[in-house]
Amino acid sequence: MAKKILIVDDDPDLVEAVTMILETKNYDVAAAYGGIEGLQKAKSENPDLIVLDVMMPDKDGYAVCKDLKADPALSKIPVLLLTAVISKISTTRYTQQMGMETEADDYIDKPVEPEVLVKRIEALLAK
Amino acid sequence: MNEGATNGVPMPDQVNILVIDDEQIMRDGSSRILSKDGWGVITAENGQLGLDVIKSRSEDIDVILLDLMMPGMSGMEVLDHIRPINPNLLVIVITGYATVESAVEAMKKGAYDFIPKPFTPDQLRIVVRRALEKRGLQKEAEFLRREREKSLRDIATEKSKVKTIINCMGDGVLVCDRDGCIVLTNPAAGRMLKVSEASLLGNFLSQCNLDSELSKTIDESLKAKDLSYFSVSQEFSIGQPEEISLRAHTAPVRGDLGETMGSVTVLQDISHLKELDKMKSEFIAMVAHELRAPIAAVEQQLTVILSRMAGDVSEKQEKLLARAKERTKGLLGLIKDLLDVSKIEAGRMVQYKEPLTLQEIIQKVVDLMRVEAENKKIDLQFPAPSQNPLIHADRTSMEGVFTNLISNSIKYTPEGGKVWVTLGEEGGFAKASVSDTGIGIKKDDLSRIFDKFYRVRTVETRQIVGTGLGLSIVKSIVDAHLGSISVESEEGGGTTLTVRLPKGSNPATC
Repeated sequence: MAKKILIVDDDPDLVEAVTMILETKNYDVAAAYGGIEGLQKAKSENPDLIVLDVMMPDKDGYAVCKDLKADPALSKIPVLLLTAVISKISTTRYTQQMGMETEADDYIDKPVEPEVLVKRIEALLAK
Repeated sequence: MNEGATNGVPMPDQVNILVIDDEQIMRDGSSRILSKDGWGVITAENGQLGLDVIKSRSEDIDVILLDLMMPGMSGMEVLDHIRPINPNLLVIVITGYATVESAVEAMKKGAYDFIPKPFTPDQLRIVVRRALEKRGLQKEAEFLRREREKSLRDIATEKSKVKTIINCMGDGVLVCDRDGCIVLTNPAAGRMLKVSEASLLGNFLSQCNLDSELSKTIDESLKAKDLSYFSVSQEFSIGQPEEISLRAHTAPVRGDLGETMGSVTVLQDISHLKELDKMKSEFIAMVAHELRAPIAAVEQQLTVILSRMAGDVSEKQEKLLARAKERTKGLLGLIKDLLDVSKIEAGRMVQYKEPLTLQEIIQKVVDLMRVEAENKKIDLQFPAPSQNPLIHADRTSMEGVFTNLISNSIKYTPEGGKVWVTLGEEGGFAKASVSDTGIGIKKDDLSRIFDKFYRVRTVETRQIVGTGLGLSIVKSIVDAHLGSISVESEEGGGTTLTVRLPKGSNPATC
């Protein structure tokens, strides 16, 4: 059975592009267009992996990730954080400034090369 | 007229002598003798007339010759009246009956001298001349006294002028004497430091509850023996909840021998500048984020199309789309640099310093850049250094520094060239150099390559994508680590950029 991947990003164009990549690789794809919707779909869609955008207006990726990892029913789902800003600087800064550790399983820069995205997803699913 | 005496030096030639005598012969005789010497003579034939002259022309008359024995008002009585009019008038009494008693009595009443009758012209001249000498001294003393009063008045005016200026100044002023006692301040200083002017003036620094950094700086400037210690600028914030940002310039005041006499601190309210600066940085960050999202989306779409995940792509289409993708990549690079600038300026980029070695940083960057170098057939080398100094730095921004330097070298070196990095120690510094066999930099451009948005424009660089921000970011980071960056280059002969960063001697203190 095909693995299901939930994409959470407020930019519909990006969701569409990533969906195409994943569908080419025969994944089932579900989409959410905001942090709150993302959390709901994480529960209802029961995905095998979540691709999560960081900068979202209603609830950012770090907060969503924190909630996911705090929920025993969801904490096992691997999270691939999709960062729009220069990944290392912004993420480490953010976590240090917010005084919280993100528990995302991996980070990846936006825009992403299809092979890179697929490789990272495969690696996370294989764990 | 004697008016000149008030403005300039006393004029001794304009001398007037009043002769008060009831005897016509005496008046005429005296007039004759005295006017021969060029003195002006006024006569009065009795005491009352004499007093009238004195009253109306007291300033004009230098010496009075007064007969004691006169009908009506006697000489003694006239003397009594002269004193209240002008105590400085010099009176020579003429005593008809040369008794010592009457002379002594007249002297007691304030007469300056006496001359017994009868007298020879020479005797008269001697007595008058002596009185005039005294009068001259008197006038001079008077002149000097007036001058002194005038300059004191000028000083007082000048002082109040300066005081007014200082009080009206928008900048705060704090002047301390060498003991750290505040001797001069103004309302602006009180307002900025949020204390009353009165609680500053005349108090010691330690009692004024000032910002501790400011007190320390003033203290140091008072104690500084070294003449090269000049002026110190610092910024600090004060007050809550309405915080204001202040910039203070403190300088020691030195005497002729170089000894410290006190210190002067000028305070400026820079809250609005800080606010503007913050707004500018936030604006850049906001614009950059807003720009980035759509461009990232476009590039993502192009990537998907180019991977043929959205259907077939003809060769011609692929060529065009690949070029479009290059352009979006260039734009994303520019935005990333803009974000870096606004971050550095917001003071956020270099905040997490840790002990690390440049070797690990450079090795990591070199490994990352290897693909880029190989694509351009450039030989990228980082020979193992003999020394591996420990520094105290922000890891991410250090990676940024060497990524920028090495990628610049690769960019500006033609195919088949060489780029190499060396690492070592020099004095208290870790020294890393990035060298290449590239196109080099013209002398005219050398001084400006660290400026924001500056790019060397030549035929060779036209094809190279860049923002002109890379090296300015590198310099900001190196500066923030108290290091330095220098460049050596020859047009067509390659470039070497050298970064020096202070060694962290003991990891425990880092």
